[in-house]
Amino acid sequence: MKTLIELSVNDEPRQAEVEPQTTLLELLREHLHLTGTKEGCGLGDCGTCVVLVDGMPVNSCLVLAVDVRGRKVTTIEGLQKEGRLHPLQQSFIDEGAVQCGFCSPAMILSAKALLDENPRPNQNDIKQALSGVLCRCASYKKIIAAVQAAASGEGE
Amino acid sequence: METSYIGKSVPRLDALDKVTGRAVYSVDVDLPGMLHGAVLRSPHPHARIAGIDLAGAWEVPGVRVAITGKDFPFTHGGMIKDQPFIAIDRVRFVGEAVAAVAAETEAAAQDAVARIRVRYEELPAVFDPKDAVADGAPLLHEQQEMYVRGPNYQYVPGTNICTIRSYARGDVQAGFAEADEVFEDEFYIHAVAHTPMETHAAAAQHSPVDGSYVVWSASDGPHRRNKELAEALGIPINKVRILTTDAGGGFGGKGTIVAEAPAVALARFAGGRPVRVVFSREEELSASQTRHAAYLRLKTGVKRDGTLIARSADLLWDKGAYASKGPEVTYRGALTIFGPYRIPHLDVRTRLVYTNKQIAGAYRGFGTTQVTWACESQMDIIAHRLGIDPLELRLKNCLVENDKYINGQVMHGVGLTETLERASREIGWGTPKPPASGVLRRGKGIATMLKGTQTPTSSQCMLTVSQDGSVTLLTSAVEVGAGQKTVLAQIAAETIGVDPSSIIVPNCDTLRSPFDYGTTSSRVTYHNGNAVRIAGEKVRKRILAIAGEILKTDPARLSLSRGRIIEEGVGERAGLKEVLAKKFVRGGMIWEEGFYSASGSPLLKADQGLQAMSSIFWMFATHAVEVEVDIETGVVRVLKIAAAHDVGRAINPMLCEQQIEGSVMMGLSNTLLEEFKMEKGRVLNHTLADYKIATIMDLPEIVPIIVETGHPEGPFGAKGIGEPAAAPAAPAIANAVFDAIGVRIRDLPITPEKIRAALKK
Repeated sequence: MKTLIELSVNDEPRQAEVEPQTTLLELLREHLHLTGTKEGCGLGDCGTCVVLVDGMPVNSCLVLAVDVRGRKVTTIEGLQKEGRLHPLQQSFIDEGAVQCGFCSPAMILSAKALLDENPRPNQNDIKQALSGVLCRCASYKKIIAAVQAAASGEGE
Repeated sequence: METSYIGKSVPRLDALDKVTGRAVYSVDVDLPGMLHGAVLRSPHPHARIAGIDLAGAWEVPGVRVAITGKDFPFTHGGMIKDQPFIAIDRVRFVGEAVAAVAAETEAAAQDAVARIRVRYEELPAVFDPKDAVADGAPLLHEQQEMYVRGPNYQYVPGTNICTIRSYARGDVQAGFAEADEVFEDEFYIHAVAHTPMETHAAAAQHSPVDGSYVVWSASDGPHRRNKELAEALGIPINKVRILTTDAGGGFGGKGTIVAEAPAVALARFAGGRPVRVVFSREEELSASQTRHAAYLRLKTGVKRDGTLIARSADLLWDKGAYASKGPEVTYRGALTIFGPYRIPHLDVRTRLVYTNKQIAGAYRGFGTTQVTWACESQMDIIAHRLGIDPLELRLKNCLVENDKYINGQVMHGVGLTETLERASREIGWGTPKPPASGVLRRGKGIATMLKGTQTPTSSQCMLTVSQDGSVTLLTSAVEVGAGQKTVLAQIAAETIGVDPSSIIVPNCDTLRSPFDYGTTSSRVTYHNGNAVRIAGEKVRKRILAIAGEILKTDPARLSLSRGRIIEEGVGERAGLKEVLAKKFVRGGMIWEEGFYSASGSPLLKADQGLQAMSSIFWMFATHAVEVEVDIETGVVRVLKIAAAHDVGRAINPMLCEQQIEGSVMMGLSNTLLEEFKMEKGRVLNHTLADYKIATIMDLPEIVPIIVETGHPEGPFGAKGIGEPAAAPAAPAIANAVFDAIGVRIRDLPITPEKIRAALKK
């Protein structure tokens, strides 16, 4: 039984016909072809599928598509505005926070949710906010530095 | 030497695509008409397949292909061809592919494999290499003589011994007789998972017209894997085209045929439609590859003053069910069991043994991580027994410039002493411990290592300059996450005289990208870097010749810097773009090849007949660690790691730091957190909730220290960095635990249970 849902993805109204069991991750990757959101486990353990729903970070593999009806979803593809990188995207490049890059979208989105809430986080705040996303390249040290750099440069 | 781009932390070329979600990984490959594959896996560690009934699978709507191993009866293996694409008549580990399905949707494919019925006749299984070499052990491969194998991979007929090798130098018995003290210890290092965040995945397409295959994967060795596939299938290499994608982490685990096997087999029957196979995390953790577990026995004779005299080593490696890269991993590892030390008398025997478990393969460090665990743990035992400071013992015996490796090769660019001194200084080695507070005890430990690179190997590249001056580097070095593209672009930029941002480095297409041995063995910066340097110099000469012609001056008076043509004594004459536009009025491009092979280098000279053991460069590292042990819970917390690495020359210091910091964490994670929980060959903890890897919360203070001793033949003096940084972590942590609480852990991982049990004794 397919259901038609409407939602906002990266500030654009979108429609999709989904099954009751379709996850938000499947909706994004397979229906909307937004493959910047990654699947690392499908069980909510690794966090590489993090996206923002109404500004809150969620594991999109654990959220049903029908439950984001009418909500505002932000993926990594939505951070660049008018060709300009989000400060976090820029700081991830500048600080060397990217290696294989598979967790980068989830790290950046988790960090965005943090900075939107708390523009001046300390190191522990950053660790807590990003602790749900695994990075096997273990760029953690430089990821923290990148979030700090973006926080201190905000508003510039 | 003044450089424009070498030694600079140039931002990564691949980072923009990765922070914007545009990078295409193997799991993102989506092709018109693509089918989705799924694999039925064995529930038994060892069984005969009595029958397979595919009928249930065919009943599922949308199923287009359903096959067993007999439909695709080929075997592969880069070193020993012992592995079927899909099991034929017999399964040898829990998780081995038994049948496969391709369907219109992933859900249909998974539904279909669940409906396949297989009759198994269970066979006795063996899980521990010690049991596997015992008399009467069940055999995994009764007819090893049937397998095509490399010339150095001797097996023992009628046993589970997949390879056996030995090496000796000096007179080890005389050495022990001469020694004041002889130490005998056995260490165990466990298997761990690579755990790339991107699981293994591959897409494949078969042409029913000409019988060729196209494979999309994150393979780190596309030119070796297309040869392996071509040999397995009995078709020419140019009929197996591999297109590499971005790789979501590899760590050695994506260098062999893993997801490629079912994808290729299914594609053969898909009527020209592509088939994609994406491993689940469960498959990744239980049916891909692991690090080789090993029992490592060391007998070491020393003088009372700490001088190492003799070492005898007996190494037993756990192969799992099929050879993969094991023969080379374990041999390379065995040759470094003597550590970065001068030991006049030595011998080693190394045996690689089949067991009914997930296949072990290449894992960051390629055998060196295992032997460093044993070597550096025992060095600490020796130091404490002799009452010598562990740092002093290492400094006393460690290799220095012009010392000889165990085959007589003279070693150049040896920055080992500097790594020992700087790492130890950084953690305040030798300063008094803080007093114990409550249940917390602090301790410091140190470990050092050397690692070579596979030698000789070769790399080719092609550099093109378009008529507008933009540069393309065609290479088969793969961006596995370590910054390969950026480093090679920097070398190209420096040698040609253009900005790195004007260079693009596309992913590999084996039909077009020149040969490379692989992104393995920490070899890309050195080998591909040299190939790029050679090609870049040719390109620069061509450009200057053209500029001389256009500007009507002697090219010898011209130079190229940051895309500008400069004439000696005159100054800037023209831009590169302007000169090329005039030359290529009707179009055209500059096109130059670079080829580098370590073969024939005078640096490899060794004692008679032993040159094959030489390495074109040697990497050295020391990690110094401070830990805090909770004697009540047994939990070990790493407070600080100073990691000093001799990289020859840091082409890009930021990338070197990434490698050091990342692999320090990987080493910490392997040592303290990771362990397969097994029951009769079955991996019980096949989720990331149960198989723990380090998170950001486990991050200690990491101080990366880059030592640059310069290699005589390296591009701008560079060597490598990718693998060694994960090796010293385990012994450094174990040695620090001993310093903290007097407990010597000999078998990894270091768990709270083991610490508590040892403290109770």
